[in-house]
Amino acid sequence: MSLQLHDIGLVVEGVAHLDNIEVEFERGRLTTVLGRTLAGKTTLMRSIAGLQRLDRGTVQVDGRDYSRLPTWQRDIAMVYQQFINYPHLNVYENVAFPLRRKNLSEETIRQRVDAVLEKVGLSAFERRRPSQLSGGQQQRVALARALARESDILLLDEPLVNLDFKLREQLRSELRSLLTQQQHTIMIYNTTEPVEAMLLGDTVVVMHDGRVLQIGTPARVFDYPASRAVAQVVNDPPMSFIEGRKTDTGLELTRSVTVPLPPHLRDLANGNYRFGIRANELRLGGSTLQGRVTFSEVSGSETFLYLDAPTGPLALQIEGVHVLEEGRNVGIEIPADRLFAFELDAGERLLAAPATGAAS
Amino acid sequence: MSSIRLHHVGHAYAAGSYALQPADLVFEHGKTYALLGPSGCGKTTMLNIISGLLQPSEGQVLFNDTDVTLVPTARRNIAQVFQFPVIYQSKTVFENLAFPLQCRKWDRERIARRVDEIAGMLGLSDRLGRPARGLTVDEKQLISLGRGLVRDDVAAILMDEPLTVIDPQMKFELRRRIKQAHAYARVTVIYVTHDQNEAMTFADEILVMKNGRVVQRGTPETLFERPLNPYVGHFIGSPGMNFLPLERRAQSLALAGLPIAGVTTHPPAGEIMLGVRPEHMAFTDPSDRDGFPAMIEGIEDHGSARVVEVSIGGHRARMKLSRDKAVPPPGAPLAVRFNRLCLYVDGELLE
Amino acid sequence: MMTKLYLSLKYGAILIWSAFVIAPFLWALTTSFKTASGVTGGPTYIPWLQYEPSLSGWRSLFSSGAGGIDVVKPYIDSVIVTGCASLISIVLGCLAAYGLSRFTYRAGFVKNTDLVFFFVSQRIMPPIVLAIPFFLMLKWLGLLDSKIGLIFVYVALLLPIAVWILVDFFNGIPREIDEMAILDGCTPFEAFRRVILPNSLAGIVVAGMFCLIFGWNDFFFAFTLTFTDTQLLPVAVVALNSSVTPWWSLSASALISVAPLLLIAFVVERFLSHGTLAGAIR
Repeated sequence: MSLQLHDIGLVVEGVAHLDNIEVEFERGRLTTVLGRTLAGKTTLMRSIAGLQRLDRGTVQVDGRDYSRLPTWQRDIAMVYQQFINYPHLNVYENVAFPLRRKNLSEETIRQRVDAVLEKVGLSAFERRRPSQLSGGQQQRVALARALARESDILLLDEPLVNLDFKLREQLRSELRSLLTQQQHTIMIYNTTEPVEAMLLGDTVVVMHDGRVLQIGTPARVFDYPASRAVAQVVNDPPMSFIEGRKTDTGLELTRSVTVPLPPHLRDLANGNYRFGIRANELRLGGSTLQGRVTFSEVSGSETFLYLDAPTGPLALQIEGVHVLEEGRNVGIEIPADRLFAFELDAGERLLAAPATGAAS
Repeated sequence: MSSIRLHHVGHAYAAGSYALQPADLVFEHGKTYALLGPSGCGKTTMLNIISGLLQPSEGQVLFNDTDVTLVPTARRNIAQVFQFPVIYQSKTVFENLAFPLQCRKWDRERIARRVDEIAGMLGLSDRLGRPARGLTVDEKQLISLGRGLVRDDVAAILMDEPLTVIDPQMKFELRRRIKQAHAYARVTVIYVTHDQNEAMTFADEILVMKNGRVVQRGTPETLFERPLNPYVGHFIGSPGMNFLPLERRAQSLALAGLPIAGVTTHPPAGEIMLGVRPEHMAFTDPSDRDGFPAMIEGIEDHGSARVVEVSIGGHRARMKLSRDKAVPPPGAPLAVRFNRLCLYVDGELLE
Repeated sequence: MMTKLYLSLKYGAILIWSAFVIAPFLWALTTSFKTASGVTGGPTYIPWLQYEPSLSGWRSLFSSGAGGIDVVKPYIDSVIVTGCASLISIVLGCLAAYGLSRFTYRAGFVKNTDLVFFFVSQRIMPPIVLAIPFFLMLKWLGLLDSKIGLIFVYVALLLPIAVWILVDFFNGIPREIDEMAILDGCTPFEAFRRVILPNSLAGIVVAGMFCLIFGWNDFFFAFTLTFTDTQLLPVAVVALNSSVTPWWSLSASALISVAPLLLIAFVVERFLSHGTLAGAIR
């Protein structure tokens, strides 16, 4: 079974919320749709569910036009960002609700509900109402209801975004094992966080401003972002970009800063390019460049340093928790062999990427 | 200099059930503090006691050695920023910021100068004439903050999860502004949050709270490197610290049958655990004397790093490897070494 | 700053106001137990001490004929008319309010909020404006002096209240819950029935209560549009006013008219504060 989106378009008040979307999803695969807020991920998901009318394009399942079917006849389950459960039903009835619509026997319903509640760890909470549960537990109920249905299509719209940090970390790993078990379902997962896309997806669809920029495996999208826009979406903390010139002997990043020409950029024609480097590949110390700290941010077990340098703003990631005050000057080293090269013109396509790390 | 001191302050709603356990705390002037913990840990209770919105059932609150326990909020000279922006919708940005000064009968010249100064620092200069109603949420929060900063006699700024309603894209910008505001005004800032990243980014000193009690207090680095108990070790850092149970031997402590190198002191009686951060574990050759045999249970790709779940003698632990480090192929004999570790006896860090 | 003086002033004010509110009921209660002799000769208040209580006033409620006022038939008529009208108003009101809450209507420049206002504005008019139009309408339909005619009119009067309250309640339920039900296989109407209605119990109860109260208490339209075949309670009670007013029967019938509403209010208040409804709304 496959789900095909063909030439999807939606314009609202002159702004294209979706433009020329062309994607295919396969049964048993988990596809993450990665993009910033307002990239069109939720709009796309709602179009698939039939909750959003489209201006153009078709949604087809196995070649049949899905848009003819009203939402309640489509076999789609969805998990929302805000923990949506039926407030007047207890946990058991919440999960059983869609199963009852299908007229399954009471036996079957009980079996399925019990199995799913076991999987999400809520067996002991069967009789409770959603309002008596914590945020994380409520979202698990929503997830259980979606899984119990064993539907053709499972949509998850940033389900972890409203949970706090540690809970998100925990549920992410749980989700991974839960979702990889679903072999007959087409699964689509929206997220703004690259980590989730890397962790969960068999395939990543990168969206920006209503368009699909790239489709590929997580490793592919991460190691070979098709354009600067993709590189920006896929890297958190952000990739730093430096305009520079390639000559026969090296890369001129500013009038005074030149780095040696790395092997992977030798074949580029001499000229001006936009070079990119990931935050965790910039190094502190060294003498290539001097930068001034504008902000330092702690995230998990890493510190992100935002710097102002002659080449422009830079973002640097260092291991551990280190607090550097604003205004401090630090030396930065730019390992040339880790530079990406992008075109300077409109498309800003990727022209060269550094060698990928050791295989896993 | 105005320091804030809590003297035996505790708060119980009903007999015996404390929302905040009695404690002595000092907040020094000019520093940023974060009260960090999950909902229900008592952090908002403590903030409300400091601000005066709540009177503690026991203890005293002192501002600069003056007992203000019974002094109402309005007279404590503090500024508060809440989860939701609190501004006058019908007034312009300028009028919002000027209001507290008008109440204090400043003359117009002086008000204009001060408002311009604060607005400039917060990046609101170009919007001074706009009605507050039409602004975005983050701009409104900045106004809330600005209103607290315009007064030059503010003893402390108290913030209760101010970034909750802010769009994730704007959070970065707002955090920068708040940090700049603090550097500028040099007042005491007490910030309540449940997000450890926010706390670690902002605060000079963090008070981690659980069940009404402060379980550790220190700089972000201290909390990360030397958590005093497994709760802090797990809460701070992503992934959290690993805890592995140890057995006592005659001369040493052992994990999965093998002695731990470098531990010579005799630990006091009690349950002993090894605490090690995922970043401080590495694969090593099985012949390494400091290595422990391990098996890979799973690998997660996180982009810039990989998280490998291993089992050592039946105990699970997670390791963090940067992307360019190789993960040993399946089937190969493996060993893991610890580059830095902490020991915990009965849940407390052994120094 | 709760000083003793402030507290005593506060409670004093509450006591005075309570007394003011309860006094008429107390008066009616004591009067209903009096007889003709008890009413003449100075006001008396405390039974057994100042006058002999008697059940004649209460007994007369049930007997027709001389001295009796037979309240039973008007009572039944009131219950039927008010009950039916409230029920219809709630049912229609739920459907209308749900439509106004979830769907967008456009007719020129008229939008949803305008439609809601249109409904609510029906109650702004002084009732007397509608007296003649309703009279004529019912006459043409041959429904004057009938329960059905009155029910029609009451629905027209109570529906705005129901819609007004229910639109607000439905707006408070996140749209995503409707969507979830539809995704789970419910048609929009099933979603309304199975998911929205159970979660709006509080709103429905409140709207129902308002409908019952306004309907039950209406004197004006009952008076204008009915005469002999149908007689509602307020009209029957007022009709007792004559040259020799049987005060004791009057008081008794007044009290008995209020009783059902008190009972409903009591039951609903218990229901609401029990948290049964509160839990449903979150």
